[in-house]
Parts: sequence; structure tokens; C-alpha cells
Amino acid sequence: MSEKKRRYMKKSEIFTFGIGLFGVALLTGWMPDYTQTFFADFAFKGKGFDSSVISSQISAVFLAAGIIGAVIELVTGFLIDNTRTKLGKAKPWIGFGAVPMAIIAMLVFVAPDTKNQTLAIIWMYVIYSLYTAVGCAVERPAECFGALCSPDPSERSSAISIASFMKSVGQSGGMVVVLVVGIVMKAVMGQQQYKNAEAQGLDLIISTAVCALGFILFVMIFFMNNKERVPYTREKVSLKDAVKVVFTNKNLLMVSLTKLTGFGRGVYGTVSLYIAIYLLGSKDLKLALLLPMGIGTAVGTLLVNFVLKKFSTKQTYILFCVYGATSLAILYFVATGIGFRSALIIPFLILNFFCGLQHGNTNVTPNIMIADCVDEIEWKTGKRQEGLAYAGFGLFAKVASAFTKALGPWLLYTWSGYLVSTDANVAYAAQSDSTLNKFLMIYTIIPAAFVILQGVPILFYDMVGDKKERIVKELMIRRAAAADRDFDEPANDAD
Amino acid sequence: MAEKNKKGLNLKLYGVFAIIVVAVILGALTVFTFTARYTAFDPEKTAVAYVDTIVQTGDGYNACKNTLLSKDMKFGDFIRQNYINPVIYENYKPGDSTKGLKGLNDESLKGEKTLNDNGELEGKVIDAMYPFFVNLIESNGGFDAYDAIFTQYISELQKVRKDVFGDKFFNDEAFFTAFESNLAAYGESLTGTKDEYDANTGVQTKIASVGAYQEKYGEDYKIEVVSAGIAKAEGGTCVVNVNVLVNGQAEIENLPVTLQKIGRSWYVDNTSCDTAELYTFYK
Repeated sequence: MSEKKRRYMKKSEIFTFGIGLFGVALLTGWMPDYTQTFFADFAFKGKGFDSSVISSQISAVFLAAGIIGAVIELVTGFLIDNTRTKLGKAKPWIGFGAVPMAIIAMLVFVAPDTKNQTLAIIWMYVIYSLYTAVGCAVERPAECFGALCSPDPSERSSAISIASFMKSVGQSGGMVVVLVVGIVMKAVMGQQQYKNAEAQGLDLIISTAVCALGFILFVMIFFMNNKERVPYTREKVSLKDAVKVVFTNKNLLMVSLTKLTGFGRGVYGTVSLYIAIYLLGSKDLKLALLLPMGIGTAVGTLLVNFVLKKFSTKQTYILFCVYGATSLAILYFVATGIGFRSALIIPFLILNFFCGLQHGNTNVTPNIMIADCVDEIEWKTGKRQEGLAYAGFGLFAKVASAFTKALGPWLLYTWSGYLVSTDANVAYAAQSDSTLNKFLMIYTIIPAAFVILQGVPILFYDMVGDKKERIVKELMIRRAAAADRDFDEPANDAD
Repeated sequence: MAEKNKKGLNLKLYGVFAIIVVAVILGALTVFTFTARYTAFDPEKTAVAYVDTIVQTGDGYNACKNTLLSKDMKFGDFIRQNYINPVIYENYKPGDSTKGLKGLNDESLKGEKTLNDNGELEGKVIDAMYPFFVNLIESNGGFDAYDAIFTQYISELQKVRKDVFGDKFFNDEAFFTAFESNLAAYGESLTGTKDEYDANTGVQTKIASVGAYQEKYGEDYKIEVVSAGIAKAEGGTCVVNVNVLVNGQAEIENLPVTLQKIGRSWYVDNTSCDTAELYTFYK
């Protein structure tokens, strides 16, 4: 028992795994919002199209892409689990899928020069659906690589938490890219010429090229340096059995259910603009409001790694849920207690930072739990199904995101009693105290309730402690035996 | 780090090759899109963009962003330096820094009404300035006489603002808010408006109106601006003839637009263009 713990991954691999996820997040974080802006404002500027038709079609494009994405999610998971190559099962998808993904992402911003509105709409559907499909086929294997990078759960957990941190940073990378591109364009072109180019969406086009280039560069660094070190199992998995896994493995289902039970956590984003306007005094403070929370999230992602060294994944998850709900409740009571005065913006923003820490948990811990669930499934069935396990979680996340998008506006515009301005000269109408209080509740107390709810399924999660240790040990023994059997025909190049 | 797969795939080689291929494709697509969309590299596109901005909504103000007035700085900064700052600061000359200067934009000059306005009084100013704005455009035959337009508008705006707010506070935002609102309203008087509803609450925010273009050419009129070719080109200067088509029929033919090339970009020489016809063709 006192044997020295074996390290499977090179130190550089932990870093390059993070680099790879950073690259993927750089592009996938950039695309949805800026595609929407590009389609709505720039793609067909000056073509004389009916803007209301284009706007409604853009919503439909994203809805269609969401449905396609959900289907592709499961299909990709199934295909990953049935991939058996010398490079492994997930890595080929990432390495070979990255090239078409980068090019298709760029093509989303190369609108056809047409005056035919129907053709333009068809193009939007086709190109964005194509991007979504290719994106799923790269993003999903990149995420499930965490379960394949090392057979040692603690080494794997460290790699996943560092990669999750890099990923969360990468998701906002596009905002920095567009800022820097703007500065460079101004310097090269001059102020007004830059404004003219910006009016054509050219800064977005260049920024997409930069993000896509960063994506391919970082993904290839990962591809060249990282290895899958958990051997894949050889049994063929039918689609029916594969989908069944997602819904019948108790622990995996509980982790996935956290997305559904906690779907209302994200409604604070819907009201953040109005918190900035009505409670902090300026819509420009929206960024100031979300920035401390974003920094808190990044710090929280690193913090989880330390907490996981002392506590199990289950304890860590519940601990952060309790902390998250408490911090949001404190923010609510402090804000209502002291009222909103401009002098108190700073304490409010500091509290936002502390509220952000909890998001680190939801970024990291479920990914580690899923990797553990994959071990459990392999232990029970003899089949290793990283692809489907992560795809199932992703599917639940997509459904939860749709619920959040429905609940947020309902709370804001219906439940709160929000009054819209009907005066063309007044941007935002005055609101009653009751409405303002409800804004605050949507920002704090309601997400806090969902933070608690998201922790409930984890109470039934049991892939921890002795059970986890026993399963990992037995799997090691089984794999060693299988490796002996397959001596002449190794499953992959795992060490 | 380099890992040679047993089948012979060299991952390092593949990685480098993939990066180079993607970089080349991204570069080519970016250059292609940039040159296709960016108007200033092509004199005909620049001339068409200039005229199109004017005829679609009567917006000679934003059309100036294609002209020599914008070659060295943002058009907004051109207005600030030449028309707004000299009003705000005593003895200000275009190009001077405003750092440390005290003028009419000083916070201490804000009266009670300015401090407490939620947009209602600002709206009154905008509404009061609209007839003056329309008269300026019509009496000057568009925006070619931009100097007179900005000077007179700012002078009148100061008076109207003082009447409504009761203080002499004035800043660039007061000008841009009022002027751009008047410009938008002027455009809508030509194009007409549709009923508009707030996407989230369903509350009606705009009532439909019929514009002057619609009265003349029908509700679904379509204005197109096309180049009729380069009429004259000498060194860094050229003249592009532009046609304005409404519902496919030529309303204006061979309107000459003079352009100058500076560096790689073409700019409309606003001092050599007469755009008055673009503001009256529908009458």
C-alpha cells in the first residue's frame, strides 16, 4: 500500500490539455453571439431585405441549430464510443475535426453577395447548422478527453480542473480579440475608416479569423502532445444500449439532472442589464457588474481543485451549492438592507465576486464526476462510454439552457411587473419599488433557490469513497489482464 | 513530443501542416471578404455608398463619413473640433486639446432640471428643433453646405436648450442626441414607418406612418444606386457617374461624384459634388 503513486501524464500534458480546451472555447465562445450580431446587422446590409423577416428567421436559425446540435451531440457520443484507432477514441475527432471546424466557422462570416432574400435565409440555416454539427463533433470529444487522459482519478481530476479553468478563460477570449482587432484596425486605417469598416462588420470578420487561427493552433498543440491513456474496450455498443446508459446509470443521471434542477441559476443574466440601469444607475455598469462575477468564477474554478484534495466530489459539490446560495442570499439582504446608493456600488460589486466563486464548482466538479461515472459503467458492463456519458450531460445542459431562456424573460417582463417605456425620448421607464425588489430577487434569491435544487440530485450520488477506490482498483486489474491478453494486438497506444 | 503513429502518421508534421493550411485559407477568406465589403478601396463602391446613404433616408450627415472630411479623424471628432468645442470653450481653435479647459460642459453649470431629467425635457428639445432642422436641409439643398448647417443648428440648439432646461450647460452629447434624433425623424418622413412592438412586452413603441417616398412610389418602393462607370480618371482623382433607380426606373442619371485617392483609400471630394438633386428627386 505504501508504493509510490505512479504518474501517467507528463507535466506538459496537463498544460496542453488546458491549452486545447482554451482553443476550443475561444472559438465556441465567440461564435453564437457574434454570429447572431453578424446575421442581424451586417451579413446582408444594404441588400434591401425586410429586417423583421430576417430577425425572426435568425431566431429560427438558432432554434434549428440547437435541435440539430442536440441530435449531433448524442450521435457524436455514440460514434466516439465506437471509434477504435491507434490514436484512441476521442483524439482523432479533435485533431481531424478541427480543420473543417475552423474553416466552416470562418465561412459563417462570409455571407453570399445576393439580393435574393430566400437564398440568404437558406444560407443562414445551412451554414450555421453545419457549424453546429462540426462544432459538436470536436467540442464533445475535447471535453470527454478528460476521462481518457489518465486512469488515475486524482491525476485526472487535476487535469480536468486546470483544463476547465483554461476553458472558462477561453470562453471570454473572443471579447479580448475583438477589442485588440479594433485597436489595431484604428491604428492602421484611421479612426473614421475603421468606423466605416466596423459598419460593414469587418472587425467581426477579422476577429473570427483570429479566433479560428488561435483555435487551430491551440488544438494542434494539444493534439501533438497529449495521449489517451485509458484503453478503450472492444465491445461494440449499439445505439439503443448507448442511449440507455445515459438514462439508466444512477450516478450519471444524477449528475446530468443537476443541470435540470438548477436550470434557473442563470436567470440573473437576463436581469443584469436592468440591475445596472435601475439599481446601479447606468447601463454601462453592466460590464462592471458581470466582471467581478466572471473573475470570481475563474478563481472558483481553481479553488475547486484545492477543495477536491480535501473532500470528495460529492462533498465539494454540496459545499459549493450551500456556499453559493448563502452568498446570493447575503447579497440580497445586504442590497435591500442598505438600499442602492452610488457610494455603495463597490461593496455590491465585491459581493458579486464572492457570488461568482460558486460557478467554478459547476464548471469543474460535474466533469470529474462524469469521468468517475464512466469508470463505474465500465466496471459494471465492461464497456467504456466516455462519448455517450459526456454527450448525455451535454444534452441535459442544452435542455436546461432552453428552460433558462424561457424562464428569465418571463420573470423579468411578466412576473416583476416591468413597465416598458412608450415615450420615444425615454429609454427606460420608471419602475415601482416592488418591481425593483423583484429585479433584485431575480438576480439573487431565485438563482439561490436553484443553486440549492441543483445540489439535490447529488445527495443520491455515491461514486465516492471506498466504492470509487474499489472500482478504480478492480478496473486497473482488469485492464492489466486485458493488456496481457491483447499483448500481440494492443487496443491503443496507451502507456 | 513528436509521435509517429504505427501506421506512419507523424502527428507533429500533421499538426504543423494543419495550422499552415488553415492559416492560409483563413487569410484568403479574410482578404476576399474585406476587399469585397470594404468600399474605400474602390472609387465606384465609395461613390455608390455616398449617394446611397443620402437617397435611402436623406442622410447627408452620415454620407460625409465617405468624404475628405473624415480622412484624418472620425467625422464626429471633426464636428467636435470645428463646431462644438469652439462654442463650449472660449478661444478654442480646432486641433487644440480640451484637457484642463473649463467651459459650458462643466458639471457645475447643470441646473436642477438637467440633473433630474429622465429624458422627457431632452425630448422636448428634440421636438422643438425638428422644424428648424428640416428648414436648414431644405433651404441649403441638403448637406453640401455642412458648415452653415452645423453652425446654425448649434446656435439654435443652445437657445432652445436654455429655454427648456433653464441653464446654459452644453456639451457634445446635447448636440449629437438632438441632431441625430432629428436626422432619424427626417429619414422616417421619407421612408415611412411600420408599427413596432417591444419584443419582450408586446407594448407598441411606434405607430405606422406613410413617408414621402411611399406617397410618390408606392408602399413597397425600392431605391437602388448603381455606378454608371468612371467618367474621368487622372492620377489620384476620378469622377464616377452614379444612377439612382426607383422601382427599376432611373430617377437620376449620371450624377457626377468626384473622388480623391489618399493612400489605398478613396474619398469623395465633397467640395466638388452637388448633391441637391438627391434631396428633391421625389418631389
